[in-house]
Parts: sequence; C-alpha cells; structure tokens
Amino acid sequence: MSPAITPAMIGQVIISGILAGSLYAMVALGLSLIFGVMRVINIAHGPMLMLGAYTTYFLYAGFGLNPYLSLPISMAVLFVLGAVLQRALVFRVVDAPELSSLLLTFGISIALVNVAQLAFTSDLRSVEYLTGSWVAGPFAFSKPRVVACLIASAITAGAFLFLQKTRLGKAIRATSQSREVAMVCGINVQRIHLLSFGMAAALAAAGGTLISMMIAIQPEMGQIWTFKSFLVIVLGGAGNYPGALLGGLLLGLIEQLASLFLTTQLSEAVAYVLLVVVLLVRPTGLLGGRQT
Amino acid sequence: MSGRGRMFVAGLAVLVLVLAVYPSFGSGYGVRSMLQLFMWMALAGSWNLISGLTGYVSFGHVAFFGAGSYTAAILITKAGWPWLAASLAGGLGACVLALLIGYPCLRLKGPYFAIAMLGLNEVLRALVSYFEGLTGGGLGLSLPTLQATVPVYYVMGLTAIGVTALTYVIITSRFGLRLMTIREDEVAAEAMGIDTFRHKLYAFLLSAVGPGIVGGLAARDQGYIEPISVFPLAMTITMIVMVLFGGKGTVWGPVLGAATLFIFQELVWAQFIYLHQLLFGAIIIGVVLLMPRGVLGLLQMKYRLPRTI
Amino acid sequence: MTLKALGSSFVALTVLFSSLPATAQGPIRIGASLSQTGTYAKLGNYQREGYQLCIKELNAKGGLLGRKVDLVVYDDQSTPATGVRLYEKLISEDKVDAVMGPYSSAITEASVNVTEKYQKVMVAPLAATTSIFKKGRKFIFMVISPAEVYLEGLVDIAAKRGLKTIAIVNEDTLFPKTSASGTAEIAKKKGMQVVFQEAYPKGNQDFSAMLTKIKAANPDVLAAATYFDDAVAITRQMKELDVNPRMFGVTVGGDLPEFHNLLKQNADYVYGATQWDDQLPYPGQKEFVAAYTKEFGHEPVYHSAAGYAGCMIYAEAVKRAGTLEAGKVRDALLKLETKTAFGDYKVDETGFQTAHKMVLLQWQDGKKVTVWPDELAGGKPRFPTPPWNAR
Repeated sequence: MSPAITPAMIGQVIISGILAGSLYAMVALGLSLIFGVMRVINIAHGPMLMLGAYTTYFLYAGFGLNPYLSLPISMAVLFVLGAVLQRALVFRVVDAPELSSLLLTFGISIALVNVAQLAFTSDLRSVEYLTGSWVAGPFAFSKPRVVACLIASAITAGAFLFLQKTRLGKAIRATSQSREVAMVCGINVQRIHLLSFGMAAALAAAGGTLISMMIAIQPEMGQIWTFKSFLVIVLGGAGNYPGALLGGLLLGLIEQLASLFLTTQLSEAVAYVLLVVVLLVRPTGLLGGRQT
Repeated sequence: MSGRGRMFVAGLAVLVLVLAVYPSFGSGYGVRSMLQLFMWMALAGSWNLISGLTGYVSFGHVAFFGAGSYTAAILITKAGWPWLAASLAGGLGACVLALLIGYPCLRLKGPYFAIAMLGLNEVLRALVSYFEGLTGGGLGLSLPTLQATVPVYYVMGLTAIGVTALTYVIITSRFGLRLMTIREDEVAAEAMGIDTFRHKLYAFLLSAVGPGIVGGLAARDQGYIEPISVFPLAMTITMIVMVLFGGKGTVWGPVLGAATLFIFQELVWAQFIYLHQLLFGAIIIGVVLLMPRGVLGLLQMKYRLPRTI
Repeated sequence: MTLKALGSSFVALTVLFSSLPATAQGPIRIGASLSQTGTYAKLGNYQREGYQLCIKELNAKGGLLGRKVDLVVYDDQSTPATGVRLYEKLISEDKVDAVMGPYSSAITEASVNVTEKYQKVMVAPLAATTSIFKKGRKFIFMVISPAEVYLEGLVDIAAKRGLKTIAIVNEDTLFPKTSASGTAEIAKKKGMQVVFQEAYPKGNQDFSAMLTKIKAANPDVLAAATYFDDAVAITRQMKELDVNPRMFGVTVGGDLPEFHNLLKQNADYVYGATQWDDQLPYPGQKEFVAAYTKEFGHEPVYHSAAGYAGCMIYAEAVKRAGTLEAGKVRDALLKLETKTAFGDYKVDETGFQTAHKMVLLQWQDGKKVTVWPDELAGGKPRFPTPPWNAR
C-alpha cells in the first residue's frame, strides 16, 4: 500500500541520503582514525556523540548560547575526555586481540550511558533552534540538516587538510601505516595515540552538536551511531580515511533508497547485507583497509 | 586419576544430584532462576566453542538463540508440535542458519567477522519483523498457556550439561587442538596442512546448536516472544563477559563465569536498579584489564593446572 | 579449588533461592513489576505513582478488610522476560497477597502466564491490547480502552468533515501495531481510504524516506501509532520535509506535557489520543489531580490516573467480595460497574473493558484542548491544520 515511486521522490531521498551521509562520514572518520592508528574499534564512539549533544543542550538551555557557537566548546570538551579515556584505559588494549578492545570500549560505553542517565535522567531534551525546510519545487531541504551538512563537510575537509598537510597529521598517517617505522623516525607514538583518540572524540562531539537540533537528546541516542559508523568504515575500508567519506555517503544513500523502495524496517538489514557482500568481494573494504 | 580429580568428579556428581531434586523443594521463582542460570551456562559454553577456541569473535551469537526461539514457537503454534521436539528442531534450525552464514562469514578475519555477525543479528531481527505472516511480526507470538517450568528446567539443565560435555570432548581431542592452533596462528595452521575453513565451520555449527535449543526452551517457558526480546545485542555481550570472566577456551570457565555473574546480577539487581548497569560496565572493564584470562586463568597460574580445564 | 569455588557458588545460590516463610495476618501486600529503567521508564514511573497514591489513600481510610496495605515494586527494566521472573518472585517467593499489572502490553502478555498459573487476579491498568484478554484467561482484567480505538476520535472528526484519505504508520511492536490495524478498520468503516500503511522498527530515528512516500501519497489525515520518542521525531521531520496533511494525530506521546516542551510551537495542531486528561468531569477527578500534584510535585498523566484507578477498582472488588480469595474477587470484578476519577469501568465476561472512553485532544497555542468526544469536549478542533509555511 504505497504510492508509485516518482523521480521527484527518488530525488528527495537522494537529498536526504546525502545530508545524512555527510554526517555519517564525519562521525565515522573519527572511528576510522582510532582504528587506523591503534587497531581498536571504539564502541564508546556513539556515547561520545551523545555527550557532545548534551554539552550543546546545556549551553543552550542554561546560557542561551547559540547551538552552532557551542560546536567548538563541545568538541574541546570531548577532545579532553577522549584523551583522558585513552590515557587511563584504552592504551592498555592497543596491541591486544580485538576481543579485548571491543569489550573494553563496550564497558566504557555502558558506563558513559549510565552516568548520563544518572546525571541527566532519561527525559528527552531538545534544542529547538532551527526547524523546518527550504522548499524548491517538489524538494524540501531541511534547514538543520543542510546547515549540518555544510558544517560537517567543512570539518571533514579540515580534518583531511590537517592529516595531509601538517607535520602532526603526517605523523598520524605514518603511525597508522606502521607503528615501528614511525617510532624509528622519531615520532612519539604515545602522543599520537592520545591525539587521535581526542580528535576522534571531538569529531563525534561535532556530530552530537549538529544532530542535537534534529533529533531528541537522551542518554541512549548514541549507540546507533556507533553501529552506523562501523558500517561506514568497513564499507569504505577500516583505517582508510577517504574510505570513511565514501562509506558515509554510500550508507546514507543505501538507507534512504532501501526505505523508499522496500520499507523502513528493512533499510538497516539491506545495509548490512551489502556490507557482507562488499567484504566478500573486497575483504578490506571498497578502498582497501590501508591508506595509500 | 589424581586425588584432586576424583574429588572434583565426586563433587560434581553431588551437585548434579542436588540440582536434580531441587524442583521438589525449591520455590517457583527459585526453579525459574536456576533454569535461567542453566540457560546462561549453555549460551556462554556455546559462544566459547567458536570464539574461545578459534579466536573468531562472534558478536551476534544471540542470533542463534532468536532463530531457535522462533523455529520452536512457530512449530508449536502453527504445527502443534510438542515443545520438546520443537526446541530440538530449534537447535537444528540454528545449525542450518549457521551453515548458511558460516560459509561466507567465516572467510572474514578479525573485526570484520565480528561486525558481520553483529549485522547478521540485525538482519534476522528485521526479517522476522518483516515476514509477519509466519512470525506475527511486531505482534510477537503467544504460545498456548501450559505449565512446563519444571520439565523445561530439566531439559535446560541437560542442555547445559551437554554443551559442557561437548566442550570437554572437543578440547581433549585432536579436533580441538587444531582449533586452538587456528586461534594462535591461522597461517601456520594452514601451512601445517589443517583445513582451517572446514574446522572453523564445524566449530561454528556446533556452537549454534546449544543456543538454538535453549532459545526454543526459553520461548516455551516465557510463553510470549517478540523480535526485540529474542535478538538483543545485550545478550551476546553477557555471554561474552561470562566466558571472559570465567576463562575463555576452557571447559569450566563458561560455567563458572555464568554462575558468578548471574548470582551477582540477582543480588545487585533488586538493590541498585539505577547503578546495576553501571556496575556491569565496570565489571567488563575490570575483567578485560585485570584478568584477561578470567578467574580460571588466575587459578591455573596459581595452582599450575592445565590451561584447558 | 575449582571444585570449592563451584560448590560454594551453588550453595550460595541454593540458599538464595530457597523460599522465605510466608507472612501471616500482617498487612495486605500488593506486588507489581514496573518499568523503572529502560524504554518504558518514564511511563512506568507514572503508573507506579498512581499505585502509590491509591495505597496511601486506602491506608488513610483504614486500609483494606481492616488491614494495612503495602506495595512491593520491582523494576523489570522494560523487558518481558524480566517481568515474568519478577511476578514469579512476587508470588512464589515474597508471597504477596495480590498483584497489580505491569506497564505495557508486551510485558503484560508475558507476565499474565505466571499470574494465571497461580490463579492470581491481576488488574492490568496499562495493557491496551485486546488479544491479551481474548485467550481464555480467567483472572486478568482490563481498565483502559483497547489499542484499536485510540485514534477513533481522529478518524471520526476527519470523516465528519468529509476527509477521504488516511495514511497510517506504526512502530513495529505489539501495542502500536494493534493500534494501527484498529485505526485502519475504523477508517474503512467510516468510508475513508487507507492510501499508505507502513511499520518502522523500534528505535528508528530517521523517518525521511517514509515521510517522502507519505508526501507523495498526499493523504488528508496522517495517523501515527507511536510511543513518545517517535511521536516527537515524526512531528519534527514532517516540518523538515514539508509534509502537510490536514490532520495529524498520534497515539501515545501527544498527551504528555513534554511533547510541547520539546517541540514548542511546532506541537500546535497535533492531535493526541489519551485515555484521560485532567479536565474531564469524572467523580473525584479534581481531588485526584490535587492530591497527586501535592504528593509527587508534578501533574498526573493518563498512566498515573489509570494506575490509580486500577488499584482503586481492585480494592473496591475486594471490599465487595469481603475476601482476598481470587475466585470471589474475580466474580466481584466481573459484576462491578463503577465510575472512578479515570472514567467508567465495566468488563465483559472475558475481563475485556467495555465502558471506558478515549478522548482526543489537540495542542492549541501551547495548551491541550479536549476536542472529542463531543460530550466531553472542552473546545472545538482547529481544522484544518495549516501548512508549515503558513504558520
């Protein structure tokens, strides 16, 4: 019982897919960074996004701060938290088998969500700042999502420039290619780990700030983003930074098109099935698991 | 057999005997709780078969539990099967599922396998919701009311014993030795002439049977299942933590881990409803960092026991 | 050593689960498992407060059958499996004298197997799914109107104003799904055409593709069988995608004050179904609202009122039966016809509710106004809902 699918509808879901995909790409880039440098899959990535969203909410509700202006603050707060977690806990599983790192970060994830529940309660919160859409012909461009897409693209571009052009960024890439060689070249690998974890948390926080204006904020909002980020980086190639970009856009489009042509219920399943197919054909993701 | 070994076997026999007569004097809740504990022992033991022995981390093992639940529930409600046969069929169903997905997924390595398994669970839940003609979709399936807690208690207990016995047989066999070789170094295992894929697949199939049967029994006992309640990620995590806590790759680790964590949960749960999850998170972190080889690992080191018991 | 560790664990366990002695002629203990954590935490807590207020008032009036009444509550973490075990614990371990229902249809559907086994009467004030009561169970009683008729008001208003088409969406779980198919039935009966129907998974955050399809189907009415989170998300995303039905209504969530707190002026014109609101002319209504607000520091919602009324109905049946014995209380509940602060109570021979009325409210300038049924309405619906760009 569904209307016939018209080109206008396909156009609309492609718009939605790209808008969502740009956010996926930015958030997943963080996860990819950690995996690339440390070979750790950080399950607490989504909860970091949740904490970013709460930071924005409290600055908005408490001090009336424009939510877009809270972006650098929430990124800075989470950068520090990420670095602290890395220093305190995660560094101990850097070379352990993947089970240890998966479980450790899962434990951190549960702890963060529950601390948030105790501190902020499970009540939904929202930042009702920018709502509605710009309408152009048959297409609607959601205002908060378009702005979020632009900001996310800028941040992602910034992160790439940083990785490509600066000494520190080059050190991060070198570490992710080979830790031993990086060490021999005089790179302080411990510091690089700290920095990448902090950056990753900051990217998640940026995602949290931006989506705080789209969906309701609550302690359990983050986990779904961990899984989406997984999908993205595995599709693109874990540890491959441009791969995160490709994977993000792909996931956004796949989800939307699957929801359109099939049903919302199956969209996640379609994404996972495609993932397994991609992995079977290219076991290290579309762009390969290593950065070239 | 050493004196210590004999004592151990005698102790086990007494324990099994006590548990066998427990329903005659335990309360309804006591029986149901022990039944739940058996369930966790079987689940943890099964996860250990694939992940503890081969090192392939199944992050979606609850998929087999859910598959078993639905197979059994459908056979009971739509085909009028008795619950015991239906639960065994649940084990078979889970095994078939393992064959279908093991073929592609076991070729993936490391985190890719873990994520693929996680995805499998999501896919299954979505499919079960979608094909509502058979499964009732989001309405769930309600089984005819039937008082079966005590018989289910026995079958669940036997399943837990079965999984543990199977683990013992495998670990002490050449097959088990090969699986552990794969865990330590898959390339070397291959070089030694072990057909690694086939070995992994067999282990995977065996690890799916237990959760399938247990899923069917749990569905019968609860009387009502719905997609979100039989495919929860949290259940996989609990299995993993139990095995890790007890000691992975061992015979008794899953049993010990399941018992300890289950009792802990029962005791803490009522007292600190809001802190309970937080404590669970802390336990996970503690186990990973402080005793990666579990309680048994510590005991083995202290008393120089073999690494596999 | 391994043996000792194992052995002592099991000894501990056996001690733990061995039964406690039954309490004799002390207070009457009423047990309930409610969601205090997890997805249903918010609504489960409202229900708990309803129970608590009821028990407090019973005790203030000298208790029940001359005995004081105590409430024993556990948290089922919003999962059916835990609910089952908790009712087993309440009855077989804590030996409570009576039980009250949990929150949500799914948890009731699972738990009722235990209460039936022990032949305990369970008044289930927040289970709205008809099928629970239609499976030949003897001791379960319904208090609220069934899921199927939640949106009857929305459809009724629409049909009376000559609207022809309706789109229906629902979360894919027991209550919303039942509610959605009920809405479709009613719409067809009233001559409306269902032009779109789709379910979405629990926890879904992105409704854009679904709303794109709805926009293309261009229905006069959009009916969403929701819980609170998705009711908020769908409203927001409708604005983002410029979806403009002439009426939009939700089953659960639209009635909570938080709906407006979160959405601000975007909540206006949204219709919310509710079992009850604090403006209705029911006996004891005002006193209940005042006492509740004083006790808990916030206003009651329908879940609070239903919990309160369910407990009062059970107490009334016990008074009439003059005993706690399940068979007699059951007969009393079957015969009972009464009006509480929550509205009418009367059940058929299966324990299925037949007298209670749903109401439909609409957000108007930040206030809830009851717009249906006519005899209870406090105002007129603002119809049609203007398009988003004309507000």
